[in-house]
Amino acid sequence: MSDKDTTHFGYQQVDKNEKADLVAGVFHSVAARYDLMNDLMSVGIHRIWKRFTIELSGVRQGDSVLDIAGGTGDLAAKFARVVGKEGRVVLADINESMLQVGRDKLLDTGQLGNIEFVQADAQYLPFPDNSFDCITIAFGLRNVTDKDKALRSMLRVLKPGGRLLVLEFSKPQNELLSRAYDAYSFRMLPFMGKLVANDSESYKYLAESIRMHPDQDTLLEMLEDAGFTDCNFHDLTGGIVALHRGVKP
Amino acid sequence: MSQLISPTLHTAALAALEGAANRALQLATEARSELKELDGCVFALECTSPEFEVFVQPLQGELRLMGVYDGTVTTRVRGTASDFTSLATAADPASSLINGALELEGESAPLIELQHIIGRLDLDWEAPLVNTLGDVAGHQLAQLLRAGFSWGQQAGTNLGRQLEEFIHEEARLSPPKLELEDFYTDVQDLALRVDRLESRTARLKKRLQDKDD
Repeated sequence: MSDKDTTHFGYQQVDKNEKADLVAGVFHSVAARYDLMNDLMSVGIHRIWKRFTIELSGVRQGDSVLDIAGGTGDLAAKFARVVGKEGRVVLADINESMLQVGRDKLLDTGQLGNIEFVQADAQYLPFPDNSFDCITIAFGLRNVTDKDKALRSMLRVLKPGGRLLVLEFSKPQNELLSRAYDAYSFRMLPFMGKLVANDSESYKYLAESIRMHPDQDTLLEMLEDAGFTDCNFHDLTGGIVALHRGVKP
Repeated sequence: MSQLISPTLHTAALAALEGAANRALQLATEARSELKELDGCVFALECTSPEFEVFVQPLQGELRLMGVYDGTVTTRVRGTASDFTSLATAADPASSLINGALELEGESAPLIELQHIIGRLDLDWEAPLVNTLGDVAGHQLAQLLRAGFSWGQQAGTNLGRQLEEFIHEEARLSPPKLELEDFYTDVQDLALRVDRLESRTARLKKRLQDKDD
């Protein structure tokens, strides 16, 4: 198998055609406990990172927003409130289980009317060109098989002047923090995964996939290469997470 | 956004404060409905030294606090931390706002309306911010918000007093209450004297008639 035909799944090299199924397996397994695990793993800070993403999105009443890999609907619920009745939020996720959990959660909390649910692959977004004022993908890009293809697909469906926000784990900027973070993610995460979701392997994948994800500067270049302009990023919590932003010219 | 406070902390502090404000609003039905009238407005408090900004957006009867906002702002209050502190601790905030170094940009009426609503909530700005940011940064941000939004009630009273003085003393559009009371006393006194004069005239008239008879 040539390098072109393979990609990484955590620390493993796998056939490109297999990655989507492997990732799907991970998320089918953790979907029911996804929110709880996120809160436990990040000590609730993921809510702050997502809140900052919404602030930087510049989304207004009446806007149209696509939340890719929207999972359990954290961002979609908040965007729905900001865009109001005249706006539109599409929660898209490739994984049926995650989408089901997100849809149930939003319906149970009365979030209706301006949210649509779509099962979609980020690499082949099933929307017309120039459809959205803003696209977000939070903790999803690292699971996509071909990230460049996904970024180009996002650029296509964004309206000119629209913004893409990529919230993703990144590289801590401090050596001490980096070591502490390594110890935490390779020892504590699988342990917590075993305890709460009865699945240590999926959380081992999570830790590995974070290390394999492009660092801040590389992802910035990828955004520019895909055709976005005014690209920049903010390090959050010492660079454990970074929020990248690009604008469609 | 703050250059001193990390985005995570800044966002966390505003999230804590927003939660406290919206919990208070849950118990204030009237304030919630008044706040809905301000939907679409965005208010900015900009501290120039040290640099940080807070944006406040009324949204469907709740408050949204943000560290970043790049849309059109309805009203912006700009100044240094000490300018905001002076306003927050002033005995007469209205006069401090008029005579102080703070700059006000945009429409003032929606800001005053928001101040009245928030003023009635009697919010504790300090606790949620200090818990998240620590004593120094938390206190500084609380001062900014207190200056921007909590002087509304007192300012309303003071502005009322200043307006009354203007009508009475400067424009002389209406006499002050004491002057008016003096005037009424004088009128009553005059009325009594007129009555007495009328009685005396009547008596004199009667005497003259008696003499003629």
